Parts: sequence; C-alpha cells; structure tokens
Amino acid sequence: MTRSLPITAPEADDPPAAPAESRARRRSRRVTARPVAGMLFVLPFFLVVVAFLVVPLGYAFWLSLSSKSLALGTRFSGVDNYVRAFTDPVLLDGLLRVVLFGLVQIPVMLGIALAGALALDAVTTRFALAFRLIAFMPYAVPAVVGALMWGFLYSRTFGPFADLPTLVGGEPIDFFSVSLLLVSLGNIVTWAWTGYNMIILYSALQGVPRELHEAAVVDGATPVQVALRVKVPAIKQAISLAAIFTVIGTMQFFTEPQIMARFAPQISAGYTPNLYAYNQAFAYSDFHYSAALSFALGFLVFVVAYAFVIVNNRRRVARS
Amino acid sequence: MLGTTWLAKLRGGLAACGLLAVAACGGAGGDDGPVTVSVWAWYPEFKGVVEAFNASHPDIKVEWTNAGTGADHYAKLKTAITAGKGAPDVAMIEFQQIPTFVILDALADMGEHGANEDKDLYAEWAWQQATDGEKVYAIPVDGGPMALMYRKDLFDQHGIPVPTTWAEYAEAAVKIKAADPAAHIASFGSDGGWLNGLMWQSGCRPYGYSHTTAKDQVKINLTAPECERVVDLVGDLVDKGLMAKDPFFTADATAALDSGKYWTWAAAGWTPGYLAGSLKNTAGKWAVAPMPQWTAGADEQGDWGGSTFTVTKQARNPKAATTVARELFGRSKAAWEIGLDKAFLYPLVKDVAADPAFTGKAYDFFNGQKVNEIFVPVSEKLGDFQFTPFQDFVYGELNDRSAEALSGSRPWGTVLEETQKNVVAYAEQQGFKVSK
Repeated sequence: MTRSLPITAPEADDPPAAPAESRARRRSRRVTARPVAGMLFVLPFFLVVVAFLVVPLGYAFWLSLSSKSLALGTRFSGVDNYVRAFTDPVLLDGLLRVVLFGLVQIPVMLGIALAGALALDAVTTRFALAFRLIAFMPYAVPAVVGALMWGFLYSRTFGPFADLPTLVGGEPIDFFSVSLLLVSLGNIVTWAWTGYNMIILYSALQGVPRELHEAAVVDGATPVQVALRVKVPAIKQAISLAAIFTVIGTMQFFTEPQIMARFAPQISAGYTPNLYAYNQAFAYSDFHYSAALSFALGFLVFVVAYAFVIVNNRRRVARS
Repeated sequence: MLGTTWLAKLRGGLAACGLLAVAACGGAGGDDGPVTVSVWAWYPEFKGVVEAFNASHPDIKVEWTNAGTGADHYAKLKTAITAGKGAPDVAMIEFQQIPTFVILDALADMGEHGANEDKDLYAEWAWQQATDGEKVYAIPVDGGPMALMYRKDLFDQHGIPVPTTWAEYAEAAVKIKAADPAAHIASFGSDGGWLNGLMWQSGCRPYGYSHTTAKDQVKINLTAPECERVVDLVGDLVDKGLMAKDPFFTADATAALDSGKYWTWAAAGWTPGYLAGSLKNTAGKWAVAPMPQWTAGADEQGDWGGSTFTVTKQARNPKAATTVARELFGRSKAAWEIGLDKAFLYPLVKDVAADPAFTGKAYDFFNGQKVNEIFVPVSEKLGDFQFTPFQDFVYGELNDRSAEALSGSRPWGTVLEETQKNVVAYAEQQGFKVSK
C-alpha cells in the first residue's frame, strides 16, 4: 500500500491590519498584481501536475479505449475493455477479496491505532515518547522489505511463530494456507500502518482543548469516559480522514501480495485488482486492458471513498 | 592510419560516452571505433564472459546490464518493446518465452546476418525452439535436461531402490514416509516450468505454434493422457502427504533439501550448480540418476529451463548485435570456461557438451559422480517441443489451478481440464484459432 501524508495548505492570511485608507489603496494595486504573480506561483505545480498526472492519465485512458489482441493487433474498441473488466470473474473475485479484507483489517487497525493514540495522549512520560517512535518505525520500513521480512517470520523453518502450537502438542501453523493467507497479509498491513495512523490520531488529540478534559474531570468523569465521550468525538474528523486513506490504500492492495506470492502459490495472478492490472500489463503485455482495469478500479475507489464521505457527513448532520 | 594517441583518446571517449549515455552514443561507432552493443542478461559470472568477448572483438564493445532475473527482466523488456524504445540490442530470453517475444514483434531475424551457419553447432531441440524455418530468432546458450537427484546415503541406508519408473517412484515415496515421517520424497514446487518439464518427459506435447506458417493459429492440448498422468501422479502424492508443498527456491524449500526433508528432486542440468552453493550440510550425499520412466525400459526425456540470446528489433546495429548474440558464448572457449566452471551452465553447444572436460568432470557435491554422463544423453534425446506465444499465461494458469488443488479446493484431476478451458478462452479472446 502506498499513501501520502495529507497535506493541508495554510490559509491565505489577511494583510496585516492597517489604516483604512491605505488598505483601500493597497488593495487596488493588488487586484492587478495578483493574477500574474499568483499564476507564476502556481505554474511549477501546474506543470508538474500536467506532466506527471494529467498527461499520463489521459494517455492511459486513451490506451484503455483500444484493444490489443496478440494475433490481430490493436484496434479501437470504445468501452469494450470496460465491459470486459466489469464482467471479468477474476477482477470481481479480486474486488470481493479486498473488500472482505478491508472489512476486517481496517476496523482492527484503526481500533488499535485509536487505543494507542488515546493511551499516548493520557500518559506524558519519557516512555510515551519512545513508544511513539517505536510504533511509527514499521512505517519507515519500505513495504517490500517489510513483506519479505514477514515472509521469513512466517516461514516454517526459520520463523519463530509457525511451531508455537507444537509446544502444547498442536499442529504447526501454515501461514500461507488458503484459510490463513488473508490473516497473514492483514497482519503485515496492520504492522506497517498502525503506527502511522496512531500518529495522525495522536496529533489530532493534541489539538483538543485541555479545558474540555478538565471540565469533564471536574464533572466526575473517569479517564475512560473522558477518552470515549470527550476525546474521540473531538477527533472524529481525523478518524474519518485516516479511514478514507486506509480504504483507498486497501482497494489498491498490491505490494504485500506481490512479494508474498513467492512464498504462497495461492496468491494468483488476479489475487487483488491492482495485482491483476499489473500482471495484464507486465506479464501478458496487454497494456490496453490493464489501463482499463486500472481506470475501473480508480472509479470504484472514487465511488467507495465518496460514499464513505457522504455517509459520514450525513451521520454528523443527523447528530447535530 | 591514425596516430595511436589520437585513437586511444577516441576509444577512451567512446567508452566514457557509452557509460554515460548508451542510447545517445551507441550508433556513433561506425568506422571510427568499436560499435557499442547493449546486452541485458542475468547469467551468473557474466562479467568475465563480457570481458572475454570485448578482448577478442576490437570492433565491438558489449555494454552489459543486469535488468533483473526472470519476470522482472521480462517486465522491463516488454515495457520497452511496447514503448518502441529503451530495449537493449541483445536480450537474454528463456526458450519458453521465444514465441511470446516473436509475436510481440520484438525479435530481429538473425538469419539475415548469417546465423543459420550455426545450425549444427547446437543441440537439435534447442535450435528448433530458437528458430522458425529459416528465421533465427534466438541463439541457444544453456539448457536444462532433466534427471533425478536423490539422497544416495538415505536411499542406501534404508535399502530403498532408486526408482527407474514412476510407479517405483510412488512406491519409494511410501517407503520414505515409513522411514522418516517428517520426510517427503520431494516437493511440488509450484513452478510452471518444472511441471512442463515433467509433462515433456511424459511424452506430452501440449502446444503447437509457428509464427511463420500461421501466426494466428495455436494448438493447445493439455488434457492428453500423457499430460494428465503427470498431474495425477504428483497430485496423488501431495494428497497422501508424501510430497511436500513448498514452492521451489524459497528458503523453506532449500532448507528442506539440506536437512533430509526431501529425498529427491527431479531437477535440471543447471541444478547442480545452483545447489552446490546453497546446500552445505548435504553436499557429497547426493547423486544423480536418469529420470524415472512411464514405461519400464523406455527412454523419454524432458527439459526444464534454458536460455538464449536474441537481437531485438530496436537494435541499432543488427549485424553487430547478431555477432554478439552468436559469439558471447558460441565457440568461445574462454566464455565456456567461465560458464561451466563458475556459472554451472549446461552447454547447448554440442562440442562443449561432448568434450571430456565436461562429461568427465567429477563433482564433489555428488561425491565424485560424473553427473554430466547422465545429463548429456538426455539433452541429445530431447525432441521437438513447442511453446505458445502466451506462455506466461499458461504457466500462470497452471500455477493458480495447482495452487487450488494444493489447498484442497480443487481435485487434482480437474487442474489440467480447467487450465485447458481458461487457456483456450484466453487464446480465442486474443484472436487465435485454437485446435487441439
């Protein structure tokens, strides 16, 4: 999974307070100067966006509108690729798999992250600082390295976990078996991303006014009540932000299954939608269908994320 | 004649230029200095081979890149080919990938530059796979004739006869389990090439394709009895717990080979080299026997792996590139010294394979056994075998359907049937007329 930190642009500051007359004069000058200067400031960003986002996306979309067959060559085919994609059992299976995966993994991970953030917020010792760093560390490990590392940790021969049940007379665990594979993958993702989400939530908690806790404590609330009734509602925005990023990342699940496939033959060419798109392009040389799969996936991610936002907003409106 | 200093300077300049910007400078060779030819390959110890070539060819300079092993290399190559630029002049390609790159219109015909002269230099089966009529798409380098590696010490100790037929192999599997409940006769490696090699050895010829005669027709017949019996056998062994499930080349599989957990491996001519480096505990305890046969006394053989050099259509100087593809190994004594002694390649150059230095070589890993005495006749026995122009898809299907059988969600008996169905559907979707 790849995600970027949410970037929040600072709000444009009002000009410093000045006498009313001079402010009016200044403003008239700025009206003419602003468009040119503004455009110059935006230009580098704009160029980068066009060169590395708009043009490649446009090209990929153009690719997705034609079909290439090995024997017949390339021809324009309109929406055929999309019809094929949305009726492709491999893609649909993969989608179902990541949705199931997300339904379990996302709540577990965000639950742990929230609990950790609340604990960090309540404790202010040197230990808390060290714990914050340690919890964040897996995020700093490249996903490929993390997945390889877990591949060895899960190993029957080298890993410490597989043989644990034999201590009490059980069967060794096969982490790559069909029934455990999603759990094994979910564990890697949780390991890698919990700390990251914890820090986001912890930062949000820092912004909650202390007066609120104090008032609650004065009113006789227990620490648990303060956490659940005061702090959590106060950082709802941050929680849903973390959730949206996680949902998007889960839909695009790729790195961990791609790496893990070398240990687990059960990870098929279409195990996740993104893996399927990758294999269509780079193993089967069908860049056109791969582009269509990617756009179909992008569309679904958009729909899911948007639906999530709407549901979330509605709940908030209903509450208030 | 130019002054030597001037020439030396020019040479130095070209070399630097080649290092910094291969694409920009490569074509500039011509009459003024050596032509630069870029090569992508992942052979072990290949640096020495390149140096030997450059030393013996003052007019050509090979620039070598290791663009990754197997799938990574092919992904980059296919991208560069689709993009129309960025591909090397010469690319290493395994045999099963040749038709795939031919249909992608990626490979130049080396026959136009005299490569047909090399026909008799190479093992016949290899030359057949590398060419299509008079068109030479690839120059063979190394192969993977298959034979049975087994733990001689353990077989001797428990008085289990080394299997000469697959029926005996299945019996040996039961005896091995009885001797050591933690042991398996081998592992089902989830490797399409390996399974393909076993099917080849069973006389199964599942694919047929010729780009020259009918580029839109392909033969797919994975459900012939010769193919089915292979999957039935290994599937049965897996289901009974007699064959392990570790994918080949994982740390678990290597550790199992090195700790007496697997007693055999139906492996290829390149395997001894691969194993000698990684199996330290059991070195000297292994031996090689010919592959078990389906009919007692028969002599059917198969191949797993092997590779070639191809010239891409993006080559800036196809003639020089052809020379590189033909002579990097080819007749080069220096290259084969490295190839045999350091990289442990199985040579497809007939003279090299027949040389007593190769056939008579005793391997410490096999307790002094001259294993090439077994591998060489196998390679000579290999006949015609073709691949599809979408072999990645076929192997992917074989692996995915076998994985379902491994996990118990599909009976082994339907693995090839389902693979056949999916491959035919894919081929038709790709515009091929499919015959059985």
